[in-house]
Amino acid sequence: MRLMRTSEITQRAVVTMAGEDIAQIKDVVYAADGGSVSGFTLAGRGLFAGPLKEFLPWAGVSALGADAVMVRDESVLASAPSILEGSGGSAGSAGDVLGSQVLTEEGIGLGTVHDVVVSVDVTGGEYCDVVGYEVEASEGLGTQGQMVLIPLPDTMAASGEHLMVPSSVKDFVGHDLAGFGAAVDRFRAHLEDSRP
Amino acid sequence: MMFSAAKGHKVVDTSSADTVGTVSGFLVEPSTHSIVALRVKKTETGEVIRWRDITAFGSEAVTVPRAGVVTDTDAELEALGDRARELVKKRVLTSSGDELGTVKDIDFDTETGALTTFLLDGAPDVSADRLIGVGSYAVVVRAEPHGS
Repeated sequence: MRLMRTSEITQRAVVTMAGEDIAQIKDVVYAADGGSVSGFTLAGRGLFAGPLKEFLPWAGVSALGADAVMVRDESVLASAPSILEGSGGSAGSAGDVLGSQVLTEEGIGLGTVHDVVVSVDVTGGEYCDVVGYEVEASEGLGTQGQMVLIPLPDTMAASGEHLMVPSSVKDFVGHDLAGFGAAVDRFRAHLEDSRP
Repeated sequence: MMFSAAKGHKVVDTSSADTVGTVSGFLVEPSTHSIVALRVKKTETGEVIRWRDITAFGSEAVTVPRAGVVTDTDAELEALGDRARELVKKRVLTSSGDELGTVKDIDFDTETGALTTFLLDGAPDVSADRLIGVGSYAVVVRAEPHGS
């Protein structure tokens, strides 16, 4: 497994196994529950290329690497409108999630979302799990103004304005991606244990 | 032999002992990771020689049975030539989407035309049997099972 900030994924080239760059990532589209990536909107390659009408569903991604998004061939691209409508009204692009306020169940604000951290299997994987947010911390975290990583439960409520997280998340805050995967695992194990 | 060393080889017609051209490039079929044709220049009859029409790829010269095996490209070779022309200096991506480096040179078997090794700039050599595709953007190779 590999952790990645979604801001690093945008503008990455979409490359076929035949070595052709067919597009680049424009924006990340999340599943309705915000817990995984459902796909990507695309832009053409080159400085002056505009957005493309095609959409890259996660199922069409062979691998999400450090330097390129690999796909089998052009045929994995779908037409955008059907996919975006199909994922429901609360499906958001990165633009909707970024800037949202993270609230605990007690109503304490932890900060605003600056980036989204996803976990991907090196070999593509069944789905692209959203495991955390990079948040500009507010008072609720005691490290006001700092960028911190907060792990996320498997599923959560997201409105576009607020994202609800359990208050215990405060004990699992990370500061860099290197150790964050372990923090996510501990946090999720903790949630599992405390479930009635 | 390395592409860099093979490039510039004379092509000699064994029936007349005349030089009929000079090797200027290689057309590679990714699926078989082998050379299917040589691109040649300074010829009178065409611009490519299919690998199967070569008598031998020697240390000093490529020998051919007659000048007539130097032909114009057909559609099949043209497609390969377009994509594969610039193998050297192209970026190398793994099937996992990680860039390994750029192709510095390529070693091939002069008996069979099979590519054996990609030499990369600032990265370990890559075995040619990992080759998946050669496109305008990148050379794609199979990712190592546990590597990244």
